[in-house]
Amino acid sequence: MDMYAVRTLRSQPLRLALTIGGVSLCIVLMFFLLAVYRGVADGSVEYIRRNKADLWVLQRNATNILRGSSLVSAAQGERISRVPGVKTAAPVLFLLSTIRKGEKVGTIFLTGYEPESGLGGPPQLVQGRAVQTDEDIVLDRSFAEKFRFKVGDPVDLQGSRLQVVGISRGTNAFVIQYAFVTLRFARALIGFPGLATCYLVQIDRGTPAAAVQEKVRLALPGLEVYDHRTFLDNNIREMKSGFLPLLYTVAAIGAVVLTVILSLLLSVNILERRKDFAVFKTLGSPLGFLWGLVIKQALLIASASSVAALAVFFPLVRLIEKLAPEVSAKSSLGQIIGIVLVVALMSLLSSLISIQRLRRIYFLEVFA
Amino acid sequence: MNSHGPRPPIAGLAHVTKTFNGHDHRTTAVRDVSFEAFAGELILLLGPSGSGKTTLLTLIAGLSRPTAGTVSLFGRDIERFSAKELQRLRAEKIGFIFQTFLLIDSLTARENIEAVLRFNGTGRSARRTKAAALLRRLQIEYLAGRFPRTMSQGEKQRVAVARAMANDAELIIADEPTGSLETKQGLGIIRILHALAKEGNKCVIVASHDLRLAEFTDRVIRLEDGRMTS
Repeated sequence: MDMYAVRTLRSQPLRLALTIGGVSLCIVLMFFLLAVYRGVADGSVEYIRRNKADLWVLQRNATNILRGSSLVSAAQGERISRVPGVKTAAPVLFLLSTIRKGEKVGTIFLTGYEPESGLGGPPQLVQGRAVQTDEDIVLDRSFAEKFRFKVGDPVDLQGSRLQVVGISRGTNAFVIQYAFVTLRFARALIGFPGLATCYLVQIDRGTPAAAVQEKVRLALPGLEVYDHRTFLDNNIREMKSGFLPLLYTVAAIGAVVLTVILSLLLSVNILERRKDFAVFKTLGSPLGFLWGLVIKQALLIASASSVAALAVFFPLVRLIEKLAPEVSAKSSLGQIIGIVLVVALMSLLSSLISIQRLRRIYFLEVFA
Repeated sequence: MNSHGPRPPIAGLAHVTKTFNGHDHRTTAVRDVSFEAFAGELILLLGPSGSGKTTLLTLIAGLSRPTAGTVSLFGRDIERFSAKELQRLRAEKIGFIFQTFLLIDSLTARENIEAVLRFNGTGRSARRTKAAALLRRLQIEYLAGRFPRTMSQGEKQRVAVARAMANDAELIIADEPTGSLETKQGLGIIRILHALAKEGNKCVIVASHDLRLAEFTDRVIRLEDGRMTS
């Protein structure tokens, strides 16, 4: 009796396989989109998260570096460094630039920083070293993989020839990747030697950050001063308000398609087996028993599809990351469990939709 | 109506009429039918196709409600049963045998029998024991693990009878139980039903157009165009 749900599903192997395939694809889509979401979310702000600055000083009304402009002059930088409690004030200049390799052109988020302080440089090097001279450049790992750059290769950047001296990670913001050069080189590119996007401030040990922050504010009322946590949150908020909600929307559409596919299968199954259900009803089956059969079928398909999706997902991610290195996907156990729970929930919903058909199966059908 | 002394009837119909409303017409399948059925009786509802036999069976089983008149089951008007009560009544007190057996194809013979026991709340191990006993009683133990598609018509009908007996029903409803069987097998089934009525003290109501069954029954109710003619 307990096998009814399984056997009726197995009686149409092709349909079952197609359904599991369709549902699995939806689950893979959800896994993938949420993994990309996490990868982008982490990658976009990893540079800020790992930065050792206590304070971030930007132009007034600038809240982040992802989608906003900020210009801070050398004179302002000089005044920041003179504020009591400030140990170091390091300028960083962010520019959108292009790198050419043969026929291929790639856009980068060029980050000019002072090699002496190291503040604003690559958060983590996976190969080579950090920049030391104006001829050095550090590329993001995914960018380097995509354009097949390795340490020692020459790089053509807006008419200048640099050399790759290091490969970094935590610098892939999905739509664009960071590249690191000296501040002097970056300034030379734009032709304004004293400009910076922001100043990264480290404060004297033992000095309260809030106090120094307030002093910088008072000394330079035309600038914004953020502590590390606030600035990170600003950038996370900015990143989340961008295209990332779109990923959630597409993932949600995947969940809806999954529900529709399952509902269709369950409904067809009920209609094809309506005589069985009519017999069960006539023999005195409680409605809950019939509901249980449909719910069991929905959960069986959801479970089989989840297993199939997991089997496909990880090799698929590896393949995609190979073909498109800038796609950074990150999954966690919690994320996978969460999606499997959503799938279970959607399968329950689909069974509830299909269960409505049971109401239109009548006793008299067994006497026809 | 028959009188059976102080015994209450298992099923009682009083001036029952059943009309079906179509889009542009009404069909009266049963007209002013009255009779009572008692424990230990084997009653044959006899009539040609379309005479209202099956409709009458559904009324007796509480599967549909009369347009006029009253149907009582186990001493209570079915109008006073809730849907839930009727479901439990069918699970606990009524057994069904259908014309085309209607065994569940995806279940083995044993599981088909166990289904009824599950519906009346029998525990798992008791279900197994009872199903095995019924298969033994009907001499079809060898069918226990087989699916209906591998059975002959006669074997299917025996499993269907075993299923109808599973819940120790006081009322057994059989719709053309011999309709799909050869004469010898049909007679075998009617003998089983007769034994159920007489030895098991069950009330067995059989609908059929097969006149040969009349000699095995206690009472024949003839139907024609929905009316009782005898």
